Amino acid sequence: MIHSKQFSYEPGEHEAETASSSYLMSLIAIVVGLPLPIINLIATLVFYMGNRKSTYFVRWHCTQALLSQLSMLFINSFGFWWTVSILFTDETITSKYIAYIMAAFIFNVTEFIATIYTAIQTRKGIHVEWWFYGPLTNIVCKS
Amino acid sequence: MRKTIIQGSITVLLFFGTWFALTQIDWVKVFNVQKVTDKTEQKLGELFWEVFKKTENESTKAPVVNAIDSIVTHICTSNAIDRKKVKVHVLNKDEVNAFALPNGHLIVYTGLIVNSDSQEELTGVICHELAHIELNHVMKKLVKEIGLSVLISMTTGNGGPEVIKQAAKMLSSSAFDRGLEKEADIKAVDYLIQAKVNPELFAEFLYKLSDKENDALKYLTWVSTHPDSKERAEYIIEYSKGKTADYKPILSKEKWENLKAELGTE
Repeated sequence: MIHSKQFSYEPGEHEAETASSSYLMSLIAIVVGLPLPIINLIATLVFYMGNRKSTYFVRWHCTQALLSQLSMLFINSFGFWWTVSILFTDETITSKYIAYIMAAFIFNVTEFIATIYTAIQTRKGIHVEWWFYGPLTNIVCKS
Repeated sequence: MRKTIIQGSITVLLFFGTWFALTQIDWVKVFNVQKVTDKTEQKLGELFWEVFKKTENESTKAPVVNAIDSIVTHICTSNAIDRKKVKVHVLNKDEVNAFALPNGHLIVYTGLIVNSDSQEELTGVICHELAHIELNHVMKKLVKEIGLSVLISMTTGNGGPEVIKQAAKMLSSSAFDRGLEKEADIKAVDYLIQAKVNPELFAEFLYKLSDKENDALKYLTWVSTHPDSKERAEYIIEYSKGKTADYKPILSKEKWENLKAELGTE
């Protein structure tokens, strides 16, 4: 799922720190904006915008962090609005809903762990590519 | 590029696969969701009934209570409804009204009994309210109007008496959605036929009360809160066509007359 790969060049200390921060940004945002899933996306997006013109290593990891947040946004938003509709409309709690929340939770936890791991690794200057998001970032982010 | 698409598709499939696999378990049963919902309904029923009990005067006259009880019991046994679930209360009030509260509380105002020309008319309205109870319309309406979060806070004692009062008032003086009303009407016709009570007389009651020239209009809460009485009467007649049965009155002539006499109309 997660591969440590050789990057095209050896990133410097400052680069590793900034790249690692892009993942930390989404972690902090999860804690702050858990009920509103859009918050973590906005946080990573702001960070991405700020580092658009940075070095390749930094840009690459900001992009991977942003893309991973984007897919979680879909999953979490759907769960969020489903919950709202249960609380405020005549929608009822069904096994389907509980199963969705569980599936979303599993994916969120997986993403959370992956994010922590990646933040640690990139801080050490190790390049980490995620399943699907890694190749996707390679397409989007050019040197 | 191809690798990315494949990996992306697998990720999406993995998510939906996980979701699908998890739906195979009856989580509602596992987490006792139904039990929690039932408890909430039970508590709300008690809270709302308390409001009416405190502000209105409940009729304890034996002929009145027994007659209404006989009607409800007959309908319940004919339609396999759990009689113990339905808690009937007759309140001394001039308003022509009957309504359902959560947890099977059925409130009938004496004004409705007084204004019913025949026991079939009264039975029709009772059947309509029983249908609301059986079809779980009461909780649906409450959740829609005030939301589950407020309802739960009421049961935990954080709702405040004013909110409870308002919600109880809303249940007694406003109709359900058009769709739910129709569903209850149709179900009521089924109940009436099963109980061998002529549903046409229920339709006629609606016709009669929808008549604007009726002197007692200001008291006709049940009709004024249930719009398009004429339209309802028409589809009730339409639905009951060809479903004729061997109609029999539930109460004996004597018992019905006693009931009316007790309420000072005869």
